[in-house]
Amino acid sequence: MARLEIEGLCKGWDFPVIDRLDLTVEEGEFFVVVGPSGIGKTTLLRLVAGLERPDAGTIRVGERDLTGLPPYRRRVAMTFESYALYPHLSVFENIASPLRARGMAKAKIDETVMGVAKLLRIEQLLNRRPGEISGGQKQRTALGRTLVAEPDVFLLDEPISHLDAKIRHELRLQFHTLEALRSVATLYVTHDYAEALSLGDRIGVMGEGGLLQVGTAREIFQRPQHLFVAKHLGQPSINVVEASLGMQGDALHFAAEGAGLALPVAGPHSATLAGRDAGRITVGIRPQHVQVVKDGQTTNGSAVVEARVEMYEALGATGILVAESGGVRLMALTPPDAIFQHGEPVRLALRSEAFLYFDADSGRNVMVD
Amino acid sequence: MVDSTAADEPAGGSLAVRRRLDRGDPSTFPEWFNTRKPRANLIVARWVPLALVGLPVLVLFCIVVYPTVWMFYHALHDTNMMRLFQSNWSFVGLENFQTVLSSERFGDSIVHLGIYLTFGAVLQVLLGAMLALILYELVKNNFLRVVLLIAMVLPMMLPPSIVGVLWKFLLTPSNGAVNQALLNLGLIDQHIEWFNAGMSLWAIIIADVWNWTALPLLIVYSGRVSLPPAVYEAARVDGAGAWTTLRRITLPMLKEVIAIAFIVRFMDAFKFVDLVFIMTSGGPAQSSELPAYIAFQRGIREFAIGEAAAYAIVIFIASAVLITLFLKYLKKVLKAQGFA
Amino acid sequence: MSKSNYGLVKLLFLTFMGLWLLITLFPFYWQIITALKSAAETNRTIPTFWPEVMHPENFIAVFAEASNFNALVDSFIIATGNTLASLFLGTLAGYAFARFPRQAGGENMAFWVLSNRMFPPVAVVLPMFFLFDATPWGTDSHITLIILYLVFNMPLATWLMMVFFRDAPRELEEAAYLDGYTPLRAFFKVTLPLVLPGMISVAMLCWIFAWNEYLFANLLVGSNVRTFTIVIPTFTHGSQSLWNLQMAFSLIAMLPPVILFILLRRYMVRGLSLGVVKG
Repeated sequence: MARLEIEGLCKGWDFPVIDRLDLTVEEGEFFVVVGPSGIGKTTLLRLVAGLERPDAGTIRVGERDLTGLPPYRRRVAMTFESYALYPHLSVFENIASPLRARGMAKAKIDETVMGVAKLLRIEQLLNRRPGEISGGQKQRTALGRTLVAEPDVFLLDEPISHLDAKIRHELRLQFHTLEALRSVATLYVTHDYAEALSLGDRIGVMGEGGLLQVGTAREIFQRPQHLFVAKHLGQPSINVVEASLGMQGDALHFAAEGAGLALPVAGPHSATLAGRDAGRITVGIRPQHVQVVKDGQTTNGSAVVEARVEMYEALGATGILVAESGGVRLMALTPPDAIFQHGEPVRLALRSEAFLYFDADSGRNVMVD
Repeated sequence: MVDSTAADEPAGGSLAVRRRLDRGDPSTFPEWFNTRKPRANLIVARWVPLALVGLPVLVLFCIVVYPTVWMFYHALHDTNMMRLFQSNWSFVGLENFQTVLSSERFGDSIVHLGIYLTFGAVLQVLLGAMLALILYELVKNNFLRVVLLIAMVLPMMLPPSIVGVLWKFLLTPSNGAVNQALLNLGLIDQHIEWFNAGMSLWAIIIADVWNWTALPLLIVYSGRVSLPPAVYEAARVDGAGAWTTLRRITLPMLKEVIAIAFIVRFMDAFKFVDLVFIMTSGGPAQSSELPAYIAFQRGIREFAIGEAAAYAIVIFIASAVLITLFLKYLKKVLKAQGFA
Repeated sequence: MSKSNYGLVKLLFLTFMGLWLLITLFPFYWQIITALKSAAETNRTIPTFWPEVMHPENFIAVFAEASNFNALVDSFIIATGNTLASLFLGTLAGYAFARFPRQAGGENMAFWVLSNRMFPPVAVVLPMFFLFDATPWGTDSHITLIILYLVFNMPLATWLMMVFFRDAPRELEEAAYLDGYTPLRAFFKVTLPLVLPGMISVAMLCWIFAWNEYLFANLLVGSNVRTFTIVIPTFTHGSQSLWNLQMAFSLIAMLPPVILFILLRRYMVRGLSLGVVKG
């Protein structure tokens, strides 16, 4: 039984970086921590690895309390963002390093390293030095070094973010299929939300010194509990409208502050929001839920606004339209074949039942409370 | 805060109720941060760094700090050889310093030092910087450049005793190579008495310039090599001529490197004494003595230990001031390189 | 500036450098031809600029006197002993300053150690003379100079090793900890191999400085132990001037530092400018 339990973890230097962070990663779970760079993700890993000492809190693996142990007695393996391969040793020796540390017999080492190398498809590189192989191969080597160690906990620090798209995809698949990673607690850190959504059994979004939300990919994407979470997940990022609530006729509306845009609140949301009338609110509208409509097209359950094109980016598989409506800039995801001119008037349909409402002060999703 | 048992997870995942934490705003810092005891972040035990530094520092204490204290102590006493062995010296206050500072010998040596600094150290840096830039800018063949550099820097590697002997030999008045060469070229019509009273200091300076111009040359050359070529390409695109490039780009960018070369040579000047010992022994008639030489002479040859100590202290203080200034500057330069 | 004018200035500068080159190399030339002359030829009233008869056997004749050879041996023992000590102490302190700057006394401690390199020897030599005099082996022994040369070589080794350790990424050591190596084993497995080239160059640099040293040797040793640096200036003493042998001997003695320098040119700059200029 080796679940990773982190409790009340605190760490700061000139300012607090990690503030009372709690987290449990089950045995066999692939847990992804996602957050913008500089938020303390790497610090979290380094604390678990024992490379930093926490100011407070405990780290346990199963029954073992790791908090006071030095890194070399923790049975924790970690890949570094920079790979941290030993430049003076061959790929073979790099992978064999944890085994040599344990004084394993030579024949056994050869066998284990070969096995892992085959698994990662780097067996033809074993005699090369890290300086002579590509980024993807370096990452595989670093991964191999952690795999042979058979640790209780895997820590992976941005393992694929510096690689080009094709290799990234390949390695992403590899993470899915590696038995070794799937049988112990794995803590994976990345700033790339797509990576997080695709890999994680569960995902934790880091911010304010801790995890703002923990859940499955779907939960976090569809029901972000914090504006910070909503902003960070999704590409292109969510439209944020600072607005105030008010009645227009018999329906609850919100009006963008200092701008001419006013939109109705969808029926299911009205009940919760009604108590807040005249209150300030932050509305999140995902670009996926903004559609360009042609004249005469039906817009079931959507509010339609007039807008003017500011910019259009055709990205191949999709397009991103930036349009201005009543002083508010909105981003919309369009089909790939669309063409827009600057300044061209368009009509946007916004799916109001998919809007997200956050408290203007605390940033928390008011629908969840 | 986070309940993470997968089974009874509420829809939407668990929510951590977090306080705002703004790194730029101490009022949002949590309680524990303000009350914590900052912990050394070490993987090794706390005593290990101290132990690592301890032995070297202890050694330095024995070979540098102890002698310095000893010197300070005896500079204030009337110690000489006899009294030292009888442990029978007495306190005389600043008398030794008075003797030193008011003596003509010391005053003369300061003048000599001034001459040596101007025509030795300063000339070396100017010459070295000039030669380095000529070599780098005007010799474009890489191999030739390296060969020339090595040739010009060779003298620096020689032990001072060989430099001294070699130049003593070259400057021998009666049948030395230098006088003969100058005669053959018609530059002089009788032998120069290099080791006479007026000339011996200059003989030392000549040897020293030959010996040490290499150091600023090497430093400035390496500094020039490591300047980014992109800047020069940009200058060329802008149509800047050779002079403009030199004045506006090269020299300003090498300012620090040249300053370092300067300071290194300047500090060495206070220690400089080898060639005096070998070439002239301070003579004739003390005409080529430098302060450091007198300190050695009084202390080790003449056993006026208190007085020698006073000499040493004066030199020590002058160097200490220079060293402090230098280290300050070095710190600044290294910081700018993102280093210290 | 016109093109031809520029060419003229260029020529002027190159001539200047050529002249300096001549000045630089002439003493070496003189040293070599003198070493090949007979004793009589070196003492002529009008010196010859090329030996009339070559005497390459001078290079062997120098060692007819056993003390000359012994001087090289003494110098070697002292330089090597001091290099090992400097390197050992410098590696310890350099590692501590690079990896645990605060716990090791901070920046100021590192700079204090460095400052000793620039320390005037005059403030050290007198007390050390009496200190070593009181030891059982006295002043006139190898150990005296091995210890005393630490004054300038250990700060240099410490500082340069610190620079090299800083260049070796800390992350590699951390990776080794996670592989299960204790800090001591991680040091030997990862860090030491990485700084080894730097370390070798520091060793050579220290060795050159110790090999070349004259002042301390002149003042503290002289009868049991004689380094070549104090032997060379004494060649002219006695009834006869032995310029040819003196030059031959000095050529032999200066060979090691010159060769090491040519090998080490790039590190030399770093050492002599205390890490400011990378070379």
